Amino acid sequence: MERIFVIGAGMTTFGPQPDVEAHELARRAVWEAIASSGVAPQAFKARPSVAVAGHAYQGPCFAQKTLMKIGLQGLPMVNVENACASGSTAIIAAAAMIRSGEAELAIAFGAEKLTRPGGGFLPIVADDLESAMGRVMPAAFAMQAQLHMRRHGTTREQMALVAVKNRRYGTLNPRCHFKDEVTVEQVLASPSIAEPLTRLSCCPVSDGAAAVILAGESALRALGLAPRVELVASALVSGERTPFGIVDDKSEMSLRAARLAYERAGLGPQDVDLCEMHDPFTIAEIMHCEDLGFCAPGEGGAYVESGRSAIGGSGVAVSPSGGLMSKGHPLGATGVAQATEMFWQLRGEAGARQVPAARVGLTHTVGGGVTKLEAGASAVMIFRAL
Amino acid sequence: MSDAAAAPPAAPATVPIRPDLYVAAQPPRLVGSRDRVTGQVFFPAEAMNPATMSEGTLERHEFDGGGRLVAWTVIGRGLPGFDSPYALGTIALDAGPGFIGQLHDWQDKTLRPGMRVRLAIGHIKREKDGTEVLGPKFVPVEG
Repeated sequence: MERIFVIGAGMTTFGPQPDVEAHELARRAVWEAIASSGVAPQAFKARPSVAVAGHAYQGPCFAQKTLMKIGLQGLPMVNVENACASGSTAIIAAAAMIRSGEAELAIAFGAEKLTRPGGGFLPIVADDLESAMGRVMPAAFAMQAQLHMRRHGTTREQMALVAVKNRRYGTLNPRCHFKDEVTVEQVLASPSIAEPLTRLSCCPVSDGAAAVILAGESALRALGLAPRVELVASALVSGERTPFGIVDDKSEMSLRAARLAYERAGLGPQDVDLCEMHDPFTIAEIMHCEDLGFCAPGEGGAYVESGRSAIGGSGVAVSPSGGLMSKGHPLGATGVAQATEMFWQLRGEAGARQVPAARVGLTHTVGGGVTKLEAGASAVMIFRAL
Repeated sequence: MSDAAAAPPAAPATVPIRPDLYVAAQPPRLVGSRDRVTGQVFFPAEAMNPATMSEGTLERHEFDGGGRLVAWTVIGRGLPGFDSPYALGTIALDAGPGFIGQLHDWQDKTLRPGMRVRLAIGHIKREKDGTEVLGPKFVPVEG
């Protein structure tokens, strides 16, 4: 099977950007990614290329609207939506199109504009019954937190330590929405959003875009590029029917996606040096460290408390970019932004937040509230430095 | 000449959150589907049985709506239209399905996992035009 390499990455600052349209945010990210790839933009017209855009709310033909501004109209383009996993899905779809022979090069990007006056929750989904009745995402994760606390003894302080860790890394990443630290006391004292989750336990509402350039092995050789970062394996799954939707103390679909990705990569959690994880709420990082196999079930609280998930810790460095806690979660951009972090970390270009000896990285997204399903989609990707 | 200026304003409409989701009787009932072959109950109703991947075996099924509280949370400030704070509960319905819905009359009660809940029909939210949306809610039962 054709090997896939990440040869370029770009990402806008995440945060409120009321005066910039989503397609302009995306253009900036794509342009930066192309510039960093060493491939002239004209090559995407000269060589078989595709573009895949991930987003949830940006309207029809978003990829076309974005890339025409660079002069890259006319390519085969796909627009994908998988809620919070839209960006990851875009990368996986782009890689599949290279492997199928449809293309040699791919531009995979994602963007979202979520800020509006007053900020707040994602819009209600009118035809989803539980959403229509007020089941907002913080509430779903709050009930997950309650179960995790009850079943495993996870504490509010342990959950707050996730925010403390990731907000500290946000100060090291100029592209983050939040670039200031918080303390456990500040997290616990901040206003309640959905008990036990406080405002500082939740990611901010942000706008942003990110992009990566993928190349197959043959294109890499033809273009005279040295492979530096490989997308070794990926897995995309959708949620199973569950008794209580997403409310549980684990994410079966994340576990399933991870297992598939590990099998395809011929690697295991013990091989992972860093992870950009889906952590829109503090409890999510605790649970997903367990789901992804970084620690035993129920041990996620201790994992963060012990410092094992810190940069330079003895375990997997989780969310060295600052995670969704610091960056925010512009839905379509998130999965691609995670991949950009892999690109910089695995090339040793992450500056002050560099994970020492980063060789293998894993990205994880999950999301999409659907009544009766755990969630809509989960995507896991494994990258390796060459 | 009629004094049209003195006519009171029309009361806001009330609508159910979804047609045929519940029966607003005393006591109220939920409306789902039941497979007449396997006996499995689905709520909300399904057009076909997704467990057996077959059509033609589901019947409209009214049921009690009581259950047990699995988890809950209080939302401090909800989306426009939702009276805040409001509480959501994850409910294990006695009839089999699970459901996440609003709690009713919860404020002065000590909520506990496994607590019984009974069904009520009440205010879910208010639309921008003032229409009140009604739907199934769950009342924690103490003792």
